[in-house]
Amino acid sequence: MNRLVRLRRFSQILCLVLFVYILWSTTYPLSGLLPPETFFKINPLVMVMTALSGRVGLVGLSAALVLVFLTLVFGRFFCGWVCPLGTMLDVTARLVRRDRWRRSLRTGRMRFIKFGVLFFVFVAALAGIQAAWVLDPMVIMARFVSLNLIPAATRTLDGAFVFAMTTLGLREVLIDAYRWLRESFLGIQVPFFAHAVVILLFFALILSSVALAPRFWCRCVCPLGALYALAAKAAWMRRLVDICKHCTLCIPRCRMGAIREDMTYDKGECILCMDCVYDCPQHGTRFGIIARLPERRTESGPGISRRNFLFLLALPLATLGRRVFAGTPARAGVIRPPGALDEEVFLDRCVRCGNCMKVCITNGLQPLMFEEGLEGLWTPRLVPEIGYCEYQCTLCGQVCPTGAIPRLGVEEKKRTRLGLAVVDRSLCISWAHGQECLVCEEHCPVAEKAIKVTERRTPSGAVVGAPVVDPELCVGCGICQNKCPARPDRAIRVQPLSA
Amino acid sequence: MEHIPSFFHRRVTRRDFLRLLGALAVTLPAWSLAGRHAHAGQTNARRKKGIKGDHDLVVAEGADPYATTVRAVEALGGMGRFVRKGATVVVKPNIGWDRAPEQAGNTHPEVVAALVDLCRTAGAGRVNVFDVTCNDARRCYDTSGIREAAEAHGASVYLASDWDVVKARFAYESPMEGWPIVRDAVACDTFINVPVLKHHGLTRLTIAMKNLMGVCTGSRGTIHQGIGRKLVDLTDFISPELIVVDATRVLLRNGPQGGNLADVEHRDTVLASTDPVLAETFACSLVDVDPDELPNLVEAKARGLGRPDLAGADILRLKA
Repeated sequence: MNRLVRLRRFSQILCLVLFVYILWSTTYPLSGLLPPETFFKINPLVMVMTALSGRVGLVGLSAALVLVFLTLVFGRFFCGWVCPLGTMLDVTARLVRRDRWRRSLRTGRMRFIKFGVLFFVFVAALAGIQAAWVLDPMVIMARFVSLNLIPAATRTLDGAFVFAMTTLGLREVLIDAYRWLRESFLGIQVPFFAHAVVILLFFALILSSVALAPRFWCRCVCPLGALYALAAKAAWMRRLVDICKHCTLCIPRCRMGAIREDMTYDKGECILCMDCVYDCPQHGTRFGIIARLPERRTESGPGISRRNFLFLLALPLATLGRRVFAGTPARAGVIRPPGALDEEVFLDRCVRCGNCMKVCITNGLQPLMFEEGLEGLWTPRLVPEIGYCEYQCTLCGQVCPTGAIPRLGVEEKKRTRLGLAVVDRSLCISWAHGQECLVCEEHCPVAEKAIKVTERRTPSGAVVGAPVVDPELCVGCGICQNKCPARPDRAIRVQPLSA
Repeated sequence: MEHIPSFFHRRVTRRDFLRLLGALAVTLPAWSLAGRHAHAGQTNARRKKGIKGDHDLVVAEGADPYATTVRAVEALGGMGRFVRKGATVVVKPNIGWDRAPEQAGNTHPEVVAALVDLCRTAGAGRVNVFDVTCNDARRCYDTSGIREAAEAHGASVYLASDWDVVKARFAYESPMEGWPIVRDAVACDTFINVPVLKHHGLTRLTIAMKNLMGVCTGSRGTIHQGIGRKLVDLTDFISPELIVVDATRVLLRNGPQGGNLADVEHRDTVLASTDPVLAETFACSLVDVDPDELPNLVEAKARGLGRPDLAGADILRLKA
């Protein structure tokens, strides 16, 4: 019986299911059992680095520090028992590497790469730049689940139902179940996300690293893993080998490559997967909490050499000049979510987790590619032609884990400006073609109407109302652009605030 | 033990597998052809039943929207006249906007609740309540209070789907030809149109005919070009058996959404009629609007869709 391994697998699957459930329930009306930002608030990398770079205290810090404390006791249990990306890597490795004996890349000193990544993120945060999002596993996993997995799953389910009801003619049988599912489980609309395939490829690239070694990502790249590895060096829980005949069976089978040839192990690398406890033919391996071991050797593992340290120090310095050399300040040529912080601050605070895009009730929040430069990658923008900003909706601010989009009250939200609508009179059905329309005015949600009607006499002598935007009242929600019937280009478009 | 061949315990051979594929290859296309036929696109207008009320129009006044609605329908002849036992009924309120009941952007939830109750008492098999909304449908259904009220009284409240539509086929040439219309709006025994009376930027007021835009899907913005003609054709296509106009509180300015309570005034009135032209003409008088300012009403009069003269009509006024 490999009780501990089973327990660990159970925990992994439970956390993965929980992770997906939380994101699945990150939708109107936010009735999930757990807050949508749970997995980010317990993430010390995201919380500490964001707080550091933004020079702010974040509520999530306390929860994240609890996780660090637990790591000081138990070691990197998070990586082995909780992390949903780790679970995905384990599952992939099992599918791809049938044979656990298969030779892995000897990662050896490559594991220091991740400390370099962490160091880079840390120095960048000190300099006021938040770079934790680039390689944070929780962010990578959340983006995949929110923008790839859930859209694909709902599309498939919805498509299957619609196929059965239309093509197979089973409408009468299925329609009530479908309607119920749509409002509870399926979600009202199948979401669409621009460039989602890039996000998928990025995720697939990380999964494919199991071809080098199982958990290659966790051994060598993951900055959160690095953070936990540093804390785990001091952990009380350790691997104890009571009987050993040096069969070295456990060494190649350790998914983290944490066991050394001399049968000692690197506590910072061990993720407590418990495999070695059951791989040992002598049944001589166990884990226990012992404050101090009778050390056989006074060896604390190969620390970072001076040369490496200086090298690592130089790396972030080379990029510190990013803003200096890049010269141009952030452009904000896009419409940001309601209340988003000033562009510079927003770019640093946003961790690109995709929560706001997942929750956006109209699907209007979309991931950016490089429209705002490299630093704008995967940040949210409002694309009114896909979905407008719902006037009384405050969901995106409620699910943002770092406050890049503030939590606004409904009344405050209604006064919050996203941009300014501008009528293109050369395209407008009323202005250019003299026909009745006023769809924009009809939909304008501002109680006093930010779109006013002006009487206009057409060449034929008829009088039509034509829209004029009052810039004092317009909040730039984009519903006018969304509903404008002019094609192919809309005759009323929202300009970003600073454009 | 001897191996017992059975469906579940037999090894599936390659031949079996190919047979299964072959069977599917034959049956699935045949099935889907049959299904597609059942889901055929073009549909004719709903049949006009020509049910008449005891009066041409009932105008009920009262502070309680539920009781006033009940009185209005009863005075018209009772719901049993419009709903037979086991019938499928559509109650189509205006749920277009993410607005609360007091903001008067949507039909009052108690008016909807009263109609659902009356239908069920009359023996309706199923009462469907939906609208193709302008704001997000879930928010509209919730904020308007209509989902909660209608479901509490036993109606099926659901979101309309883009795919679940039929295409309108007219007996005459129409700009609405081929327009996608929610299937349930056409495939029902009784259609009750339950608009709210309110201001509108383009059509001056939105009442019964404009409310029927809520059974249309597709790119609805283009209905606004030549709207009078299109709304009349749409009304002729659906031809609701009963029209109940909610004028309990009326949005007088900045419609059709509103948001500012200063734009809302009480009229404490519910209208019931079988005649859309008469109902709309009378509704205009409640807010001192010239009926000729409504393009759809002008068109409807010209087409003889109903009687436009308040003077000659049999109008019953009552207090609930």
